[in-house]
Amino acid sequence: MTLPTLYNFDLDDHCYRLRLTASICGVDLDILNINTFPGHDHLAPDYLLKNPLGRVPTLEHDGLILRETAAIQTYIAALSKNKSFVPESLVEQAAMTDWMIFADRDLASASAARATALLDVPGDGPALTATARKMLQIMEDHMTRQRVLGKAFFVANTVTLADLALFPAFALSRDFSIDHDAFPALRRWARQLRTVDGFITMPGIPDYH
Amino acid sequence: MTMTGWIPLSLSHDIEAGSSAGAVLNGAEVVVWRDTDGRPHIWEDRCPHRGMKLSFGFVRGDHIACLYHGWEFGETGQCQKIPAHPDLEVPKSICAQTYSVAEAAGMIWVHTPLETTEANTSPSPSAPTSRVAHCVRSLYLDVPLERALAALPAAFGASVKVENSVASINAPLVDLHIGLHPVTDTQCALHITAEGQPDTAVLLDILARAEKLRGSLEAELETAR
Ligand code: FES
Repeated sequence: MTLPTLYNFDLDDHCYRLRLTASICGVDLDILNINTFPGHDHLAPDYLLKNPLGRVPTLEHDGLILRETAAIQTYIAALSKNKSFVPESLVEQAAMTDWMIFADRDLASASAARATALLDVPGDGPALTATARKMLQIMEDHMTRQRVLGKAFFVANTVTLADLALFPAFALSRDFSIDHDAFPALRRWARQLRTVDGFITMPGIPDYH
Repeated sequence: MTMTGWIPLSLSHDIEAGSSAGAVLNGAEVVVWRDTDGRPHIWEDRCPHRGMKLSFGFVRGDHIACLYHGWEFGETGQCQKIPAHPDLEVPKSICAQTYSVAEAAGMIWVHTPLETTEANTSPSPSAPTSRVAHCVRSLYLDVPLERALAALPAAFGASVKVENSVASINAPLVDLHIGLHPVTDTQCALHITAEGQPDTAVLLDILARAEKLRGSLEAELETAR
């Protein structure tokens, strides 16, 4: 069987989300690097055939093409032998999907703030950072409540795809000038996540050795 | 608000053994860290090598290691190890700035004005109650401490008594002791603890009140703009 191909850029937070998901799920990917910065290879005609939206990531497998990070995460989890990353309970599945959409839509401010700060992408840096800070505050409030309820992760007491979707924005927040001082519940959660088998980092996320 | 003496910078439960975090006190950046034996330390958040924030580093046993070039500092602040020169006897003069630290009432405190451990002779902060303090949450606010303090009675439905950087509130369901932490002139943190072992419903109620407090202060800021 062929491996799924991930069209990847190492510095992109969504691509990292997928490498992290695959690594923790124990799913092998064929990683094909698209030099989006400074190369702009995501706008090359051949790549646009795969993803007319002109962005990474894209996943291609046996004729299937997926472009949305949350959908690709779900696909990777489906390929995994370990079924624990998608909860069985429908209620928890709904909560997981809720946070995955939050990661794609609302944390877009964090991705954009970082791209503006690091990758020369045009944008109103301070406004994006202010919005991203609000989003992290929403995550902090949630994890503060989870702690009271005795849950270590966003949806359950074990890691789900939601945690893997949300982790990069917090772990990379110093790239766009948001320190971790004011987010103790997220610090604790991130420390827990780091201990999960298969955890990997990316440039900008320190590896404690 | 200028306060001197012991100031709380974190809830005890938010600095786990073997971890570190940055904190700001009246604009000064410090690192709060706990060694693997559980003892807290508060230092200037600055590596003596090239000034990297030590809070970005990581704790190993009773050392904190700088993320940049891995220099390791022991509990007195002295540099113990320079990985690039493993055989070097590290000069005693390479030393991080340590501050007086204490842990009481569910919080980690630093003595101000910030000074070295030796210079401080004042007794440790005293707990406002003999009952066990249950850590609830630290609430970070984009308003000066005075403004947050003024909003506490309405937020928790009871009057507030302030003593030694702690606001005590006999709220209807539970007694609260809130550590008062001025971050900058325009930001503060409230380190909220509750007496005894409050049940889940009470804790969730405190969290809801805290979020509403932050929301109302933010709304006020918006209209002032
Ligand atoms: S800056 Fe800390 S070790 Fe170099």
